[in-house]
Amino acid sequence: MKKLAGAVNCRYLLSLLLSILFAFLIGAGILAVSGFHPLEAYGAMLSGAFDSARHIGDFLEYAMVLCVCGLACVLGARVGIFNVGGEGQLLLGAIFAAQVGVWMDGQPRFLVIVCAALAAMAVGGLYAFLPGVLKVKVKVNEVITTIMLNTIAAYLCQYLAKGPWKNANKNMVAATEQLGAQYWFGNVIPRSNLTSAVFAAAVMAFLVWYVMERTSVGYEMRITGENPRFAFFSGLRTDRIVLLSMVVSGAMCGLVGMFRVYGVEHLYRDSVSKDYYFEALMVAMIAQYKPVTVILLSLFFAVLKIGAQGMELIGIPSQIYLIIQTVIIFCMAAESGITRSLTAAHERRRARRAAEERLKEELKHG
Amino acid sequence: MDDFSAILASIFSSGTFNEMLRRATPVALAAIGGSLTEHAGIMNIGMDGMILMGAFFGVFGSYLFTSAWGGVGLVLVMGLLVGLFFALFVVKFRSDEFIIGCALNTFALGLTTYLSRSVFGTSGAKGFPSLPTVNLPLLDKIPFLGAVLNGHSLFVYLTWLFVLVLWVFIYKTPYGFWLRASGEKPETLRTAGIEPEKMKWLASILCGVLCALAGAHLSLGYLNGTFAENMSNSRGYIAFACVIFGAANPAKAYLAALMFGFFDAIGLRLQDYVSSDLTGIIPYAITIIMMVYVVVNAQRRRRHAAQQQLSRRARN
Repeated sequence: MKKLAGAVNCRYLLSLLLSILFAFLIGAGILAVSGFHPLEAYGAMLSGAFDSARHIGDFLEYAMVLCVCGLACVLGARVGIFNVGGEGQLLLGAIFAAQVGVWMDGQPRFLVIVCAALAAMAVGGLYAFLPGVLKVKVKVNEVITTIMLNTIAAYLCQYLAKGPWKNANKNMVAATEQLGAQYWFGNVIPRSNLTSAVFAAAVMAFLVWYVMERTSVGYEMRITGENPRFAFFSGLRTDRIVLLSMVVSGAMCGLVGMFRVYGVEHLYRDSVSKDYYFEALMVAMIAQYKPVTVILLSLFFAVLKIGAQGMELIGIPSQIYLIIQTVIIFCMAAESGITRSLTAAHERRRARRAAEERLKEELKHG
Repeated sequence: MDDFSAILASIFSSGTFNEMLRRATPVALAAIGGSLTEHAGIMNIGMDGMILMGAFFGVFGSYLFTSAWGGVGLVLVMGLLVGLFFALFVVKFRSDEFIIGCALNTFALGLTTYLSRSVFGTSGAKGFPSLPTVNLPLLDKIPFLGAVLNGHSLFVYLTWLFVLVLWVFIYKTPYGFWLRASGEKPETLRTAGIEPEKMKWLASILCGVLCALAGAHLSLGYLNGTFAENMSNSRGYIAFACVIFGAANPAKAYLAALMFGFFDAIGLRLQDYVSSDLTGIIPYAITIIMMVYVVVNAQRRRRHAAQQQLSRRARN
């Protein structure tokens, strides 16, 4: 059994490495076609992530975002519901957390932060509850509803940040009031985006891993995802498990929004998240929804992302990062298919050779 | 009260219905493409990326050949390639459609923004040669219809043709029959001597072309030669909802897209009274309601059928 697990991991690791290599080759091709020197570009990417403590802090912070959002996605995927709506949950969590901080201005620090976190989790959870209920009770495809809810949340936040909760400063087009400086999370690496929120995120990541991999709840979640009928008839309340996973997933996304506001932005504006959840979703897919792999790959992709911003300095659009990331997914998703067609071709060749030999034998004897 | 009737009058003016057609067409083109893949048993989440690619390459071709028709030509080729690409993964390698669709959308976002910034220097650009509007001579004599139906880019009218052709193709030809079988009963089709994979390839490629045309209409017709970052704006997902709503029937999917366009146009009218950020929500909220309605309706019908069967059995 252990040997088998090892073999699977080896195969996964090999295909992952090959995919990454292939993606970087494709990226190099695109860079070369658009007139940049690929090696120089990748050098800029590397130095963009590692050249200063500040950038290292930045990529660690982004890894935190990817990791928590990715785990939120894993939570859903494990029980067979795809939470594609994390972006909306994150945005709403962020704006409510920011506004709670504004409302409670003057209260003790601890109280404000706890209330803001609770508000963000409640809003995110509720916003995931809606598609969850529609999926469980009415069987509406959750992918479409959550994507629609993303756009709705983006418009709603835009409205709130421009209208009722607008910053008094006229130069801020769509933003809430700034939080009092006493409520900001402390920086772990000076002048970087990395704040003490990373410890909370680490605890959360550990809890998610522990619950999913080491407890009976995690086991129940897995059966619910893999064989809902079997789970239902063995007495699990699958509806409740699915719904709860979805709500926790939404609450985690909302909390990430709060981290972004209290750690980095210090007010709500749309740079709180620029489709970060979708990038996390990609990471979760590449990791095949395995928690530990999600954590490790988050670090890798955060380096790519922050490094890509370093590429902007020599004039290369940072979106090359998205291209590389998606090529990795294409390769990983096609891995079994490619292996299958390769083995099939190999089998065909071997069968033909065997047939030819047999024919030769018969001719010799005949 | 006067206000209210003024709002109603502006909502049900010919301008709204004109806008409805304009706004519905990109979604409708993608939706009739999506009906094909849906019949072939492929859950096509990637339509949004296909539209975005079409939108960019339309503008890019228009810029390269300094003619909107050159743009449309390039879009046709790119749509074909995107469809082939999608089919390669989903049909040949049998990868997870959901993953490939999501990845395709993100890939399109990355590629189009990267190319736009490399070619035009910004993530959006405008002022390229756009498609001319068509004015049918006799139509503007008719009071209301003339104002609604005239003055659109060619794609609005072509979409009607496509709906008709695809409807005939899917329901009235043997190829359409095979296409539907390739989704519903692939093994039966294989036994009959036709490879379901071939029909799936065909559906994916046609869907790619139609979605790319939807994007071309968006950038070259609807917005007169403009490309903006992520300009498809979840239209592909709305198109997917239209496919489900229309039970993969192109005509019904077109009507669903019209409904989406109508609510989108109403939002535009209401902007004089409510913040545009709130009116922007309307079409997306309608899409969710649409999805819920479809599923609830289907369940009710199924339950009804089961009850009838039961009572028939009891009588016998």
